[in-house]
Amino acid sequence: MLLNRQLLFYFVTLAVSAGYLISALSLGSPMSESGLTPSFFPILVGAAAVLFSAILILQRLRAGQAGPAAPAAEAPHSWTHLGVAAAVFVYILAFKPLGYFLSSGLFVFAIILLFSSFEKLLQKAALSAAITGIAYVMFQQLFGVRLPTLWG
Amino acid sequence: MDFILLVLSSFSLLLEPMNLTYVVLGFVIGTIFAAIPGLTATLAMALLLPVTYTLNVETALMACASIYMAGMCGGSITATTINIPGAPSSMMTALDGYPMQQQGKGALALGHAALGSMFGGAVGALLLIAVAPFVAELSLLVKTTGKFALLAFAIIVVVIAQRGRIAQAGLAACIGLMLATVGLDAMEPVTRFTFGNANLTAGIDLMPVIIGTFAIAEVLMQASASRDTSLLTAAAEKVKIKRRDFLPPLADIRKIGLGCYLKSCLIGYFVGTLPGAGGSMGSFLAYTEAVRTSDDPESFGKGNPKGIVASESANNAVCGGAMVPMLTFGIPGDPITAIMLGVLVINGIQPGPQLMAGQAGLIAPMLAALLFSAVVLIPLTLYLIGPYFIRIVALRKDVLYAVIALLAVVGSYVATYSTFQMFMALALGVLAFYLRRNGFPVITMLLGYILGPNLEEFLRRSLALSNGDPTTFFTNLDSLFFVLLTLVFVYFLVIRKPAGKPAAAGAR
Repeated sequence: MLLNRQLLFYFVTLAVSAGYLISALSLGSPMSESGLTPSFFPILVGAAAVLFSAILILQRLRAGQAGPAAPAAEAPHSWTHLGVAAAVFVYILAFKPLGYFLSSGLFVFAIILLFSSFEKLLQKAALSAAITGIAYVMFQQLFGVRLPTLWG
Repeated sequence: MDFILLVLSSFSLLLEPMNLTYVVLGFVIGTIFAAIPGLTATLAMALLLPVTYTLNVETALMACASIYMAGMCGGSITATTINIPGAPSSMMTALDGYPMQQQGKGALALGHAALGSMFGGAVGALLLIAVAPFVAELSLLVKTTGKFALLAFAIIVVVIAQRGRIAQAGLAACIGLMLATVGLDAMEPVTRFTFGNANLTAGIDLMPVIIGTFAIAEVLMQASASRDTSLLTAAAEKVKIKRRDFLPPLADIRKIGLGCYLKSCLIGYFVGTLPGAGGSMGSFLAYTEAVRTSDDPESFGKGNPKGIVASESANNAVCGGAMVPMLTFGIPGDPITAIMLGVLVINGIQPGPQLMAGQAGLIAPMLAALLFSAVVLIPLTLYLIGPYFIRIVALRKDVLYAVIALLAVVGSYVATYSTFQMFMALALGVLAFYLRRNGFPVITMLLGYILGPNLEEFLRRSLALSNGDPTTFFTNLDSLFFVLLTLVFVYFLVIRKPAGKPAAAGAR
C-alpha cells in the first residue's frame, strides 16, 4: 500500500513543517544590521523540519512494500484511543459549566467503560463516584486547589 | 566540602514527618508505576508535577528524587518474576532474573537486584554530591558561545543516540523547538506563531507539555494497544515469593565480586551524565562488560546473579549521573530529569552554574533523599512489601487508566485555573501519541522544547557579540571544546556505528 498510515503521518508533518516555515518567513528578514531577528531561529528550525520530513518520506517510499514498517504503525489496533480523546475533549468543555463532580464522575465512568465493557454498570458507577470523590479530596482539601462546582 | 556538609545536614529534613511521608509515598508510587508493564516512573512524575505547586520546593524535589530511584529498581520485580520488564532499564535484568525465577530462586534474584540497585544508587548519589560543586565551578568558564555549543551538543547527541531512527528523532527535536518559539520573542517585543490567540502570548506552558506528552499520550497508547492482561495476571498469580529468601548469601556476593559492583556503578554514572543515554543504555553496557570480563560467559542469560547485579547497579547509578548536567547546565539527560527540571523552573529555580552557589540549600535535600532512597528504601520496601509487589500487575486496567486520565486532565488545570491549558495538554497528548505510534522518540521533542529558548538566545547573543561572524564558535575555546566533542560523538555514533541496541530504548 503506497499511502499507508505512517506515510500519511509523514506527509502531515511535512505540511505542518512547511506551514511553520512559511509563517516564519512572514515574520520578516532573518538578519538586520543589529544582528539576528526573531525570524532567524524559526526559519532555521522550520527548514530543518521540512528536511527531516522529506527524508522520512523518501526513506519510506524507497522501502516500499518490502521495507520494514514501524511495528506499531502497521499492527492491528483498536480505535478506543479516539473514544478516549473525544471523552477528554468533552470533559474539558463540560468541566466549568457542569462543575467538577458531575463532569468528572461522567468522565471517569466513560473511561472505565472504554477500557472495559458494558457490564456491571452499577459497580462501575460506584467506582467512578469513589474515584471522583477521592480526587476531589486530594486536589481541593489536601493541595488547596479550587475546583469548579455547580454552586459557585 | 561546604556542599557535602549541607547535604549531610539536610538528612534532618528527612526526619520531618511531612517530608518523610512524601519521600516514602513517592518511592512506593514510583515502584508501582515502574513495576507495571506499560507504565513508567516518568508518568508518575508527570502526574506529581501539578502537586508541586502546593508543596514547598524542597519536599517536591525530595519526592521527585525518590520516584526517580524507585523507577530504576521497580522494573526488576516483573522482569524477574514474569519476564516482562516493568521499565525499559530492567530489560537486561530479565535475561538472568527470569531463569533464576524458573529455577525457584526468584526471591534470591530480587535480593541481588535490590542489593545491586542499592549499591548503584548510593554510589551514583555520592559521586553526584562530590562532583556536582566542581562541575558547577567549571561550568562558570563556559561563556555565551560555549553555552550555545553545549546546548547544540546536547540536542545533537540525543538525536544521534537514537540509532536507526535519527531522522525521526531530528524531526521530533524540531517539533519541540517549534513549540518553544511560540509566544513573545525573548529579545524583541514581537509575538510569534500565536495566530492572534492571547493565551499563547506567554508561550506554551511547561505543565501541559509534560502532562500531555507523558500522561495523556500514555492513556491513549494503552487504549490503542487494547492489551489483553489476563495472561499477565495469571502469570503473576502463580508466583510465590517468600520474604526470608530475599537476602543474598555472602558467598554469592563474594563470587560476584566488589569489582563488578563498582565497575557497573561507574559505567552507569558516566552513561547517566550523557544527554539521552539513560538507564537502558547504562544497564546494557554494564551487562556487556560483565559478560566480556567473566571467566564463564556462557552462564549469562541462564540465571547468573552477576548479570542482574551489573544491570541493576548501573541503571540506579544513572540517577546520580543524569543529575549532573541537569543541575549544572540545565540539560536533562532523560525524561525524568526533564520533569525534575520542570519542577525546579516552576519553583523559580534556574539550574546552571549559579545554582550551587546561590541556591544550594534547596538542592541539597533532594540529593539527601536520593541517597536515602537508595540505601534505606530499596531494601526496606523489598523486604516489607516485596512478596506483594508482584500482585500489582493484576490491578484493574480500566480503573487505573481512569484515575490517570482524571489526574492528568485536572492536573493541567491547576497551574492557571484555565481550561485553555487543559486543551493544550490534550492537543500535545494527541501529538505525542501519534509521534510515539510512528516511532518518534518524544524525549527529543521534550528536550527541544526545554532547551529551545536558551539555544536561540545564546545563538543570537553570540552572533551579536561577533557582529554576525559564525566563526566565533570555532575561535572561542569553550565553544570549540563542545564542537569537537560533538564531532567525536557523531564519529562514534553515526560514522563508526557500533553494534548494539538503540541507545535510548527507554526514552520513549
